[in-house]
Amino acid sequence: MFFQLTLEKEIMLHPRNFGPKMREVLKASLKQQVEGTCDGRHGYIVIVTRIHDTNPGVIVEGTGWAKFQVKYECIVFRPFKGEILECVVKEVTKFGFFAEAGPQQIFVSEYMIPSDYQFSSVDEACYISIDGMERIRKDSEVRLKVMGTCIENTEIKCIGSIKEDYLGLISD
Amino acid sequence: MDDYGDEGGGMDDYGEEYDAPEEEVVEEEDADGDAERMEGIDEATNGVQIMQGQAGGERTRITTRYMTKYERARILGTRALQISMNAPVMVQLDGETDPLEIAMKELREKKVPFTVRRFLPDGSFEDWGVDELIFDDRDRRATS
Repeated sequence: MFFQLTLEKEIMLHPRNFGPKMREVLKASLKQQVEGTCDGRHGYIVIVTRIHDTNPGVIVEGTGWAKFQVKYECIVFRPFKGEILECVVKEVTKFGFFAEAGPQQIFVSEYMIPSDYQFSSVDEACYISIDGMERIRKDSEVRLKVMGTCIENTEIKCIGSIKEDYLGLISD
Repeated sequence: MDDYGDEGGGMDDYGEEYDAPEEEVVEEEDADGDAERMEGIDEATNGVQIMQGQAGGERTRITTRYMTKYERARILGTRALQISMNAPVMVQLDGETDPLEIAMKELREKKVPFTVRRFLPDGSFEDWGVDELIFDDRDRRATS
């Protein structure tokens, strides 16, 4: 699920970036440091939408760098147990497949795949339905349900399932 | 530093800020040479005038308007360090290359982009722009 949050981050700025363009450098450096990161509390920070005006920085003793507390608004993505996600299959193995929903990688074990899908490594690794009509292979789109999340400090691990009604292949 | 307490007492722990958008706090600098420097600080400890947050133009600041030698040392040192790390110089240079010399020139021309934050014993603080503080213009660096 996506959320819009207001977060705060401490940014250190090198003295060479001081001067009239300092605020721009500060914003660029915030985006660069924050976008695409993941923390267990909020999830993945997808994009910074707004940066509040910052207070004057404080000089760090001994180094000459300036420290700024920057407040920013951002869109975060965080998967939840039971959530339905549409994903792209990135890798298929005989133990299951890995799918990606944006920054989040989700593993779907073969036990979480309906039993009428068979693993096949002929030509390319894929799961083929018994009637041979559907193939889950690399770059297929699937709809899956998040069965569990494991949240760590800097990453979120997810397992998913397509063994339920209305889940499974959307398009090849 | 055996004389550490004689003018910096109670505010030896201060920070500096960079590029404070100062709302032109105009202090009349009627250089009262014999101003008792500790006076203001004592008042603060008595809780006469407690300032929390940014010292704006409205509130009266009560610490000395003289730059202490510790402040001067730290301003020059930090500024020289920054200049040595390629920070843009705020003054016109004619041939100086030594960061400390450039920093002293900036200080002389009141162009150092710092605000001194003086912490009082009760944890509140006052902000003074370097351009507001009075200092002895003498070059105190020991010349060889």
